[in-house]
Parts: sequence; structure tokens; C-alpha cells
Amino acid sequence: MSSQKDLLSDHAYDGIQEYDNPLPGWWKWLFVLTCIFSVVYWVYFHSGVDGRGIHAEYDRHVAQVMLERFGDIGVLEATEEQLLAAMYDPEFDKYLKVGESTFKTNCVQCHGVAGEGGVGPNMTDDHYKTIKELTDIVRVIENGAANGAMPPWKTRFSHPNVTILTAAYVAKMRGTNVAGGKSPEGTVIPPWPKYVPQPKDN
Amino acid sequence: MVEDKAGVVLENGVQGGAQDGHLESFTYDDKIVRMFALATLGWGIVAFLVGLIVALLLVLPQLSLCLPYFTFGRLRPLHTNAAIFAFAGNAVFAAVYYSTQRLCKARMWSDTLSHLHFWGWQLIIVSAAITLPLGITQSKEYAELEWPIDILIALVWVGFFGVNFFMTLIKRRERHMYVALWFYIATIVTVALLHVFNNLVVPAGLFKSYPIYAGVQDAFMQWWYGHNAVAFFLTTPFLGLMYYFLPKAAERPVFSYKLSIVHFWSIVFIYIWAGPHHLHYTATPAWAQSLGMVFSLMLWMPSWGGMINGLLTLRGAWHRVATDPVLKFFVVGITFYGMSTFEGPMLSIKSVNALSHYTDWTIAHVHSGALGWNGFMTFGMLYWLLPRIFQTKLYSVKLATWHFWVATIGMLLYIVPIYVAGLTQGLMWRAFNPDGSGLLYGQFIETVRVLNPMWWARAIGGTLYLGGALIMAYNYYMTWRSRPAKYDEPVFRAAPLAPTFVDPPVPQPRIDGVLEIGKKLDVWEQFHWHRVWERLPVRFTVWVVIAVVVASAFEMIPTFMIRTNIPQTGAFAPYTPLELYGRDVYISEGCYNCHSQMIRPMFAETERYGDYSKPHEFVHDRPFQWGSRRIGPDLAREGSKQSNLWHIQHFWKPEEGSPMPAYQYLFFDKADYKSIPARVKAVSALGSKYDPDVMADPAEHARAQARWIVEDLLAQNGPDRTFYNPDDANNPKEKDDPKKSVMLEDSKVIALIAYMQRLGLDVSPYPPVDTGETGDERAQSNEDLPLN
Repeated sequence: MSSQKDLLSDHAYDGIQEYDNPLPGWWKWLFVLTCIFSVVYWVYFHSGVDGRGIHAEYDRHVAQVMLERFGDIGVLEATEEQLLAAMYDPEFDKYLKVGESTFKTNCVQCHGVAGEGGVGPNMTDDHYKTIKELTDIVRVIENGAANGAMPPWKTRFSHPNVTILTAAYVAKMRGTNVAGGKSPEGTVIPPWPKYVPQPKDN
Repeated sequence: MVEDKAGVVLENGVQGGAQDGHLESFTYDDKIVRMFALATLGWGIVAFLVGLIVALLLVLPQLSLCLPYFTFGRLRPLHTNAAIFAFAGNAVFAAVYYSTQRLCKARMWSDTLSHLHFWGWQLIIVSAAITLPLGITQSKEYAELEWPIDILIALVWVGFFGVNFFMTLIKRRERHMYVALWFYIATIVTVALLHVFNNLVVPAGLFKSYPIYAGVQDAFMQWWYGHNAVAFFLTTPFLGLMYYFLPKAAERPVFSYKLSIVHFWSIVFIYIWAGPHHLHYTATPAWAQSLGMVFSLMLWMPSWGGMINGLLTLRGAWHRVATDPVLKFFVVGITFYGMSTFEGPMLSIKSVNALSHYTDWTIAHVHSGALGWNGFMTFGMLYWLLPRIFQTKLYSVKLATWHFWVATIGMLLYIVPIYVAGLTQGLMWRAFNPDGSGLLYGQFIETVRVLNPMWWARAIGGTLYLGGALIMAYNYYMTWRSRPAKYDEPVFRAAPLAPTFVDPPVPQPRIDGVLEIGKKLDVWEQFHWHRVWERLPVRFTVWVVIAVVVASAFEMIPTFMIRTNIPQTGAFAPYTPLELYGRDVYISEGCYNCHSQMIRPMFAETERYGDYSKPHEFVHDRPFQWGSRRIGPDLAREGSKQSNLWHIQHFWKPEEGSPMPAYQYLFFDKADYKSIPARVKAVSALGSKYDPDVMADPAEHARAQARWIVEDLLAQNGPDRTFYNPDDANNPKEKDDPKKSVMLEDSKVIALIAYMQRLGLDVSPYPPVDTGETGDERAQSNEDLPLN
């Protein structure tokens, strides 16, 4: 661009002069464009139509993830048979991974990455503080134990299956006796019942 | 370098052209400019140094030496305040005092006010440097200083600076106000408004206060302030600076007067709205977030108007950029302004923000603005000013060029790794296992450890930037040494403004054969009306105030409307006295600098932290603690997530590889129970309703809760009631040395744990509901644990 065509205004301040150049066209039109976009955006998201907000989007997303995760198995029941199936039925392996992820996100701070214990008890030995039978693990995860030292997780998970699958994952740690684990707490309880695969419907 | 000395152009004063030929004599006060220039350099070095220290604290947290005054949480606000208010602030004042006098052809109205302004401002900075490391803070970002200092800021800004500036405008001898002055006007009035309304608090002692806003409202006000501090403290005055010093240094006319008008008014009006983009996906109303986003998008071109007007002013002077360090600094500074004002709107787009928010991306963004735009414009201005205010030659152009290159490389070395760090962490937070079974990086610490190399590179970049400033300090000193024995003080002569002035005639429409409205629009577009405003400073200021206040009102009205929209159920109880005190410890330690308390409605986030945050959960939060960066995990639902024992061990010794310092001093610092009644009284006056039993003796209630926590720790085989440093071999438990032991229930850490355990709960776990479980069932062997 040559400055010779520019029209100098008659302004001068402490020796500073100003050109009387027009607004650059691209600048002006981009400005107008952002304004138009803003109006359209606003009307689309805030004219009262349901399902366009960030919370609706979140709900849809969670529903979709839950369908992908648990669509095939529905809501599990916290029974001994179900827990055993989750622990030992190879078809449940992919669901057990949810329990593993949940454990690794929420439990390792107190129970250690391999369940070796820390502030919380060791989960890899045969000693238990409040667990007498398999389903007690679900109860402890849901409601907590030791007067809140083990917190209640009932309301913190995205789906009721998460508690059961985490319980199954924790139950499976029993007997791994990780080296360097925390010394045993509580009493030795009978081994978990033996898993008897149920005959399949089809 | 430009060689001409300030004020040799005597005829400059005469060309004001008075009809009656009566001329007044006056001089310019350059002493005050020299004072502000020196303060700019000195505080700049301090700000960069503290920045380097906080950068190093992230990679070497043990550098804090376990001393409270040197933790990241306390020093980071010192760094931001020093960079913004001490370095950039003094630079702005140097620019305003130098250019306003010349643009008005008048000495500053009052030398006394100039000096009161200077010393008052330095006193504020020193107060900040003392109080922030002591943990005296309001915890609102860039508004951390407590209420007595806030009052001083208001006095100095409005009473000294504002009055002096506006009286100089009134008494000016130049009829029209140049665009730099418009930007100064916008700066002064808007910063005053922002400062006052964001800092309305109820004091609970000399060094502690509670804001009149809570939770969502407080967040709203804070980011209305925080965003516009960037707008009106770091942008508008620097645009004013650019409009004066750039054409001076380039010796070229400003590219477009019309562009100045349009981008000035659009910036003043649009910037104010954009604050809620700092609160995307939070518990603020969705429509407010959308407002913040679209106004940020509309702000893109108004901001670029300044960049265009700057860069195109250099047409015909580009060949000089190669040789003149002043122009080098300006070109890079303006370029960084353009980059960060493109990035800003981009980051305000919700889906981009979902990734960038709480990560180092934000840190990279603000540093491209602060180091690139504010820093380089300041350095350019100082190199141009030095020969003029010291009336000599710049000691070394070569060293100035060296400064430019060292600072440029340092800046890139800072910004690029931090962008990488931001993206890395943002992507890791949302990464799921390939089979979709859960988070890939379930442990937050995994997403922190990987940043270490990037954080080291950033520290090296920061060192170079600081090194550049030290080169300038040497150049500054050597230039100052060659100053004349006595400064020349040229006397200028100009006519006072005549009481009457005839504006040029209203222009004719340039188009024909269109509707009358089209012709009117064409006349309007020639900005004759604006030329009239430019000679009427009071009217001009009133219009700026109207623009800012109207835009703010649209932000404030929802702020007060949502008060009625938030369900305030009786079940949502206020913090118990101990929790409230613990919260104040949290604030004082600056925990919000690394921990957010705001779970966003995103699956990766609710999977990690629990259900997303709701507005009513924050009605007792004065101030809100949502934070803006997650160096540590979010704490919004921390309550009852870990045991008391876990917390006390974690405060004593955080896990390996965590940048969190060991907060061992909180064990030996005694909680100030005597101050608790005043605190409870203040928040209850602000609307938190307490039981009469609690109000009767809040301190005793707090002590009872502390004892309850200590008993629980005992039941879990945690530390004794009397706490000894377990790492101190010379302090066996049998020896009762009161200096090395503390009654745990007196300790600050217990109050902090009480607060941690309350986060995200509707009611306090204290007093406990009887579960029927006996203490014996809980007491089990924990002897491998470090704190027994």
C-alpha cells in the first residue's frame, strides 16, 4: 500500500498527524459478521427450545455412554451369584474393567494401586474388618464403614452397576497378597463361595 | 535512535494560534515521568523474579523451605499483582504523565497530586508485597488485597490520579483531545468502577473481610472485574500508550482517524459484557455464559482495529524497524496484541473453553498478552523515553537490541511449552480407556507429572525474559549516568483555549438520490459529531461512563435476578464456625490457586469428581472459591471422600511427585479461636443463618468440633492429641518440649480438615448422627502409617 494516496487530516497533536483513511473493508465486514453470528447463536440457544443447552447435551452424552456400557446387561442386582459371575464369568471381563477403572480413579488414594492398603486396609489378604460375606463389599462401598473413615459412595457414581462391578473387582484382589502390603487388619473370613456357571438361556 | 531532545520544538507551543495573540508560558513535569519510569523498571524486575520463583516452585516445591511465606499459593498472587499493578501500572502512569502534558500543552494540574499519586501507589505495592506472603488476601484474582489497601487504592486512583488527570484536561491548551487521551479517560473511570464494586466487603477485623456477594453472584462480580481489569488496565491504557509513542517513534501519521473512533467506542462498549466467558460450564446461568461468549467474538475486530492502526502506522517506516530497537519492541508487542486478541475470542467459544479451561493454556494466553503486549510496549516506550527524560543519548542501542532478542526468545520459550502443557493436560483429563470402561488417567497426579519437562522449559524462558530486563537495567543506569548536571527545562508558550469555539460546518452528504435517512447516515459516518465531542472532555467522559454502565447493568441485573432463582432450601446449612475458619485458612493459603471447586457438566469430569456443581451449593461461599486453574484436582465434592486420617497425612506429606508443598507449618500454627466470633457474626450479618446455640459461643462450638475430629483421628490410630514432629529424631515423645509439640485441637490443620470434609455436603457432618457403631469397631491397627 502506498501512503501517497492517503488523505492527511488537519489534526496535529504534539507533532502527531492522522490520516483520514476509511475503515478497511475486510475489517468492517468481519465485525458485522461476528455481530450477525452472535444474534443467530443467541436465538438458536436461548429462544426457549428445550434440549439445546449444555446440561441437556450432558444428559444425552451420559445416557449414550451408559447405553454403550451397560445396554446389554441392564441393571445388575447385588446378589452373591451376580458378584461371582462378574468376578469369574469371562463374558463379564469387559464389565469388570469398569470396576477396575472406578477403583483406579477413586480408591487407590487409600487402598493402593494394587489394593495393598495405605490409610485404608489391605485388600489382597484374607483379613477383613467389616466384611463377612461377598455382598458386604457392596454394602461397604455404598454406605461407608468405620464411622466415615471409609466414605459412602452411593451417590457418587454414574450408574448403580458401578458399585457392584467395583465390589467384584475388589473381591478378586483377595489372595493376591501383594508384596509390601499393609499388615492384616480384622479377622480371617471364609473363602468366597465357588462360582457355578448358570446354564445360559439360549 | 531518534536523536531529537524533548521540547526543543518551541514553535510547537505557538501553533495553538490564539486570536488575541496572548500566550501563556509553561513547562512540562518530566521529573514525575522519571520517577514512574524507574518504578516501572524496578517493579518489573521484581515481578519477573517472583514469576520465576513461582515457576520453580512447581517443579521444586521444596524450594519453599516449608516456610509459609514462600509457598506457591501465597506467592502466585504476589507475582500477578506485581506484574499487573506494579510493572504495567507504573508503565501506564509514566506514559500518561509524559504524553498527557504534551497532548494538552499543559503541565499536570498539580505537582502535589502527581507526587501523592506516585508515593501512594508505591505504598500500595509495598503493602501488597508484605500482606500477600503473610496470607492476608481476599482471594479474588487480581483483587486479592484486603479492604484497608483497597480504600487506599480508591483514594490514590480517583483522588490523586483521576483528579489530576481530569483537571489537566480541563486546563488544556489544545482544543481537541487526541485518541490516546480517550483511552486514558476510559481507563480511569472504568477501573475506578470495577475496583469499587468488586471490593464491597464486610470487614471482620483489620486483615479479613467477607464480600457482600456470595457464590454465583460473587463469581459474576469477580469476573466482571477480572476480565475488565485485563480490558481497562492492560489494554486501553496501552492502546493510549501506543497511539502516542508509536507515531512519535516511527515519525509517521496514524493510519486512520476513523478507525480510532470506531474501535475505541466498540472496545469500550463490548469489552464489559465479555466477563462470563471465564465462567463457561460453571454453575452460572447458561444464558449469561452465552452472552460472555458472543460479546467476546464481537470483540475480535474492535481489538484488531488497534492492531491495524498500529501496524499500518508503520507504513513507510518499516526499514527503520531493522535498526531501531524501539520500533522492534513495538512491532512485536502489537503483533502479540493481535495474537492474544484473536486467541481470547477463540478461547471464549464454549467447546474450545471446555478443553482449555483450568489448564496451562490460559496461563500461556495471559503471558502472550502480558509478556508480549504489555512488556514489549513498555520496553519500547522506555527506550524511547530514556534519552528524552535524561536529556542525553541512550547508552547503548546494541544492548537494547540484545534485550529485544533475549526477551523474544525467552517469551517463546515460555509460551510454547506451556501451550503444549495445557493441551496435554486438557486432553489427558478427558481421555477414556479405548474400551470406554473409564478414565484413562484416573489418578489426577498422572496428568501433572507429565508436565514437568514443560514446566522446566518455561522456567528457562522466564529466566531469559528476566535477563533481558536486567540488560535494560544496566542500559538504563548507564544512560542515567550521562545525564546533564542540571536538567534543561524548556519553557513553552501557547495560547489558552478561547472561551468560544466555532466548529467547522457540518459536512454535506456525499451521496445523492437516496432517502433522507441515507444522507443523514452518510453525514453521521463522517464523524463530524465526534470531532465536537473531542473538544468537550466532560461530555466525552460522560458518554464513556454511560457506555460502561449500560453494559455493566446488563451484567448486574442478572447478578441480582439469579439470587431469586437459586433455591435456598433450609437443608443447605451454613459452614459451622470451625469450617468457616478452616475455609479462611484455605483462602489465606491461596489453595484456590491450584484447586478449583467447580465440577463442569462433562462426563469426563463427573466421572472423576462426581455430579456437576449446582448454583445453590455456593450460597454460603464468601468469597467463592471456584478457581481458574487445576494444578491439583477439583475439590468441590471432597467432603467425606477421604478419611480425616488421609487428610492429615496428606497435609503433612503429599504424595511423591506432587507439586503441592508439605503444609507442616499448619500443624504448628495455632488456630485463632478468638477471631471466630467476629467471622461468624460477619457472615451471619450477610445472610448465613446460624442456630442460637451456635451463635451463643461460636468459638466453643468450633473447639468442640476440633476435639471431635481429633478423637476420630485417635480412633483411626492417627496422631496423638499432643502432636510431635514425627520426622524429628531429636524430639522423642517423652520429652515435653512445648516448642516442638502442639495440642492438635488447637492447630490450624484441624480447621482446614473440617472445611475439606464439608465440601460438597448440604450439611456439616458435625455434630455426628449416632450410627450405633462403637469406637472399638473402628480402632484397628494402623501402625505402619507415618503419623502415629
